[in-house]
Amino acid sequence: MTAFTADRKNTDLKHDPGAVGYSSNALELFMEHLQQRPERKLLDVGPVCQENIRFFASRVKKLYVCDMFIRLDRCIRKGIPVDQIWEKLDYPPQSFDGILLWELADRLDDADVKRLVTLCHSLLRPGGMVMAVVLGDQPGSSGANAFVVGQNFRVYLRPQPHLHLPLRSRQNRDVLSMMAPFIPAKSFICRPGFMEFLFRRE
Amino acid sequence: MLKKNRKATAEPPAPPKPVPVDQKTIIGDQISIEGTIRGKEDLLIEGSVKGSIEVKAHRLTVGVKGQVEAEILAANVTVSGRLAGNVNATGKVEITKEADFSGEIKARSISVEDGAYLKAVIEMDREPLNRVSPSGKPVEKTFSEPIKESLILADKGSKGN
Repeated sequence: MTAFTADRKNTDLKHDPGAVGYSSNALELFMEHLQQRPERKLLDVGPVCQENIRFFASRVKKLYVCDMFIRLDRCIRKGIPVDQIWEKLDYPPQSFDGILLWELADRLDDADVKRLVTLCHSLLRPGGMVMAVVLGDQPGSSGANAFVVGQNFRVYLRPQPHLHLPLRSRQNRDVLSMMAPFIPAKSFICRPGFMEFLFRRE
Repeated sequence: MLKKNRKATAEPPAPPKPVPVDQKTIIGDQISIEGTIRGKEDLLIEGSVKGSIEVKAHRLTVGVKGQVEAEILAANVTVSGRLAGNVNATGKVEITKEADFSGEIKARSISVEDGAYLKAVIEMDREPLNRVSPSGKPVEKTFSEPIKESLILADKGSKGN
């Protein structure tokens, strides 16, 4: 996968993805890629939810979950420097075949995004893949959501009212720039301003 | 001199009553234990425990005030407090929204409430994906299928398509 194209196929632009869900082509490709890896070790940085634990744990050999959203929220509430959360991602280098970032980058400033991307690059094995979601300029709520995976890679957004995190809107080019250490693999527009990205480590 | 058959003025201590099936031991929030705990009844921890806990056929609950750093072997485990360690459950592990868990979970099933903090390695008990039924037809196992339970959606009034 070398071409980096936005693909509108099989998405639901008419509906609110939070309410009715959307078919996640990126997740389907991500899982296909993961299934081909011998170790199939996956890291999900949250928000962790029961449905996703069941979904992923039944499809990978080992599922690692480390909810960075809650850690980030706790740091902000307590006024602790946010960069302390990165010590939680203390896994050995090249531990994972896939990392699910969801919308974590949208909740971080540029310096912490850079730190996150560097960490992910270190934690991912060569050929491994990262999936990220960028909300962009979303009208209405900027509250954090869990990306709840349902049947047939349909993803539903479930509000996480316990999380009070800033939303930093980023455009397509910002995402490509911040993920520079990775090879862009694919992107999908889920609705205007809401995109899914797949990046691969060389 | 006492007569052999004289009736004692005080009643002898009553023999211990059989333990009811649903009885549980509670380690209160002012109690701190280091070492190994083995038991044959349910255990609720609201205090502090460090070491290992074996209640193989029973339920272990780490209450909201509980702080546990231990290797755990139990039938079912509920975590509402802080737990650092590895959990091996033959049944279900439930993690409530107040929980702060870090460690490894091996269980037949897991439930996690939104809001719980998890840093975990999760391995669900697996059976062969395609078991051959007596009729010779392969039987699809539940865990190999996408989730069938209803999801709580942002707008419960809307239907997925």
